[in-house]
Amino acid sequence: MEKDSIFKTFAVALGVCVVCAIIVSVAATVLKPLQEKNKLLDKQTNVLRAAGLVDMKASVSAAEVAELFKKISPVVVDLATGDIVKDAKPAQIEADESNTVAIPANDDVAGIKSRPKQVVVYVVKDASGKPETIVLPVYGRGLWSTMKGFFGIKGDLQTVKNLTFYDHGETPGLGGEISNPVWVHHWNDKKALDERGNPVITIIKGNVDPTSPQADSQVDGISGATLTCRGVNHTMQYWLGDSGFGKYIKNLKEGK
Amino acid sequence: MKFLKNILGGVEKKFFAKGKVFAPFHPVFDAIDTFLYTPGERTAGTCHVRDCNDFKRMMITVMYALIPCIVMGMYNVGLQANRLMELNGIEQASGWHGAILNWLNAYFPMLNLFGASVWNIIGCTLHGAVYFIPLYLVSFFVGIAWEALFSMIHHEQIHEGFFVTGLIFPLTLPPSTPLWQVAIAISFGVVIGKEIFGGTGRNFLNPALVARAFLFFAYAGQISGDKVWTTVDGVSKATPLAIATNPSFTEGGVAGLQKAGYGMFDCFIGTIPGSFGETSTLACLIGMVFLLFVGVASWRIVVSAFVGGMGLATFFWLLGSNTNAAFALGPFWHVVMGGFAFGMIFMASDPVTAALTKPGQYIYGLLIGALVIVIRVLNPAYPEGTMLVILFGNCCAPLIDWFVVQANIKRRLRRTAESTLN
Amino acid sequence: MDSKLKKILLEPIFNNNPVVIQVLGICSALAVTTRLQTAVTMCLAVTFVTALSNVGVSLVRKIIPGSIRMIVEMTIIAALVIMVDQFIKAFSYNLSKELSVFVGLIITNCIVMGRTEAFAIKNNVVESAIDGLGNGLGYSVLLLVVAFVRELFGFGTLFGYTVLSTVNQGGWYVPNGLLVLSPGAFFLIGFFIWGLKTWKSNLITDE
Repeated sequence: MEKDSIFKTFAVALGVCVVCAIIVSVAATVLKPLQEKNKLLDKQTNVLRAAGLVDMKASVSAAEVAELFKKISPVVVDLATGDIVKDAKPAQIEADESNTVAIPANDDVAGIKSRPKQVVVYVVKDASGKPETIVLPVYGRGLWSTMKGFFGIKGDLQTVKNLTFYDHGETPGLGGEISNPVWVHHWNDKKALDERGNPVITIIKGNVDPTSPQADSQVDGISGATLTCRGVNHTMQYWLGDSGFGKYIKNLKEGK
Repeated sequence: MKFLKNILGGVEKKFFAKGKVFAPFHPVFDAIDTFLYTPGERTAGTCHVRDCNDFKRMMITVMYALIPCIVMGMYNVGLQANRLMELNGIEQASGWHGAILNWLNAYFPMLNLFGASVWNIIGCTLHGAVYFIPLYLVSFFVGIAWEALFSMIHHEQIHEGFFVTGLIFPLTLPPSTPLWQVAIAISFGVVIGKEIFGGTGRNFLNPALVARAFLFFAYAGQISGDKVWTTVDGVSKATPLAIATNPSFTEGGVAGLQKAGYGMFDCFIGTIPGSFGETSTLACLIGMVFLLFVGVASWRIVVSAFVGGMGLATFFWLLGSNTNAAFALGPFWHVVMGGFAFGMIFMASDPVTAALTKPGQYIYGLLIGALVIVIRVLNPAYPEGTMLVILFGNCCAPLIDWFVVQANIKRRLRRTAESTLN
Repeated sequence: MDSKLKKILLEPIFNNNPVVIQVLGICSALAVTTRLQTAVTMCLAVTFVTALSNVGVSLVRKIIPGSIRMIVEMTIIAALVIMVDQFIKAFSYNLSKELSVFVGLIITNCIVMGRTEAFAIKNNVVESAIDGLGNGLGYSVLLLVVAFVRELFGFGTLFGYTVLSTVNQGGWYVPNGLLVLSPGAFFLIGFFIWGLKTWKSNLITDE
């Protein structure tokens, strides 16, 4: 039969499609569980870093992460009320498309347009069951990109434990330094919130003057990255403020 | 003087002529020879322009025009350093520059190197010279070495274009730039910006700006921010432009400048932090008058660049804005701040990289002038746009010329068609 | 190995390098060469895809109807790329995050399609496999050289291990930010082409 006949053309097209489809779907199905595991592991590692349980630079094995993550209990928080949603499943919350609400423009300091209604936070409890560190997911607009990170706050609900930006596209060497452990180190043990639970932490231009009364809640700026630092400031303002985790933090304070 | 010429002639015949030991180095010899004397060669064909103003003289004219900028730049760098030292109670300068300064100050106290007064002209200028001269020497010798190398490979003369490049480049730098960065950047500028396109006259980008752009992207920390504009270690002082274009409405604009204590007159005279050459608009204007008077720079480009920049600045000023304080700066602030005047006068008008046709030069100037203001006012990421805009203008220049030539051809064709019809 | 196969394998590495001489596959060469680790992964992925897609196309070359020739080639390439992408996601998640879309974009890498169309469609399976391998390696040589320079001078590290300790980490080396940006790779590729053509002057083509 002719090579270019209609029948032959369809037969070859069908044959190639079937063979390729089989290869692709077999690869996808067989590897799926492994991929899911990797995704989870990556996220858990980032949470652990923000909680200060894993060193910023160190690479950890899956077993170690699983072991350390036992200390952490994910909790679903409704941001509008600050209450904990008891029966919600963390894994489902994040996959749920309807779980978003638009942010009114005048409230949108972080430049993110919408936020989830319910958010998963990660609580590390000490031996007596009191929260030792709370890891809050935060994100906001930098100079070029949306910076995604985890913000770890200590049990006193004021002091910074750690801050990790695991995904951003800021200028390497300038704004990109936000993910450099050397810079992030400046955040450790600073006061992020005042006694009443209002966000006070700011990155300033230049270095912090240790004698200033606000030195406790100020972080050294990154030289040449004013706008990225502004983005981080706004992100913190938004997520620690009343539209973000503010209500949840105040609830915790009152012992709810 | 004959004596020197005879010596040079003899040396040439003995060592540098074809087939002699140093024949590959003939371009180097030639450069020195023609620097001192008019070249001996004449055009061989029948067409011969007699003019004492060859390329070398033209470039040296530009260097003369830069003298006010150099002197004011050095004076101002010294003044800024001395003011900050006084303000912070620092008595000894730091780093190796500081070592020289401290030594000079100890042995020649009458120079008053660390006097923070505006009228301490000699002291401040010498203080600044300690920072400028090393930058210039590195820029010049590293650049000329590349130039010589490529001339030897191509068996050509060393072109004088580099004299200007090697001088303008350090003038665009902040005084704290490390010397090794100057060396790398000028190498990049000369090789990538010029030599790979065939050397002087064939480059489509201004090599000094290519070098600066390299530094800007490669070592951004040393050429942007608030710390680099003064030579005093660990002390930061924002440039007026950085303050004026601050994205915060209350911190930026005219109000911000007032808060920081910068007046328009300071900016015009040039007693503000910034790169060496750009701070004094007055010095740039003196250079401009000289360049335009002798006809080396194209007045069409310079004038239309100022018209474009100041025109758009006026437009923004009239338009006004409630969120962007930079709108309200107005045309005069934009001219006296940052590198606008320096860039438009000395770099945009570079005859090799600018547009060549007369209408093209107007378009080119307007485009560059206006774009600088657009970047300053509308783009919060870059407070200064002069460097990138001139490079952009350089890229567009051949295209602008092409359109002008095409339009001209069309017009002429129409005219001939009409006249034959009649 | 007989001399013909040897020639097919070695020719694309220097004398007819797909990136340097034919200037194909530039986009991914800019995107994934900031670090050696991602570059190596990309090299392996591209070499694997070019070799196997050549084999695949060569196997069916006698029965492909002319009217759907390119679509068939594309399907085979796409299937292979998706497979590679899935593997990287499964076994090296961090790398897949850094490579992001660029593994998927191997589908559009002109080298792959170019080889199937120019070579595999009219040559036998063994030769096609060798040709794909050679072109993959040619691409790899350039990628690795560029990535080596970019990572070493842009970050002061090699494969993530500190070689030149940078100022930000408390060391002495000031990293070159231009190399981290994509244009840095452009300049390096330019230098590479310049160097290679100076070394092998027979490669210079008259315009």
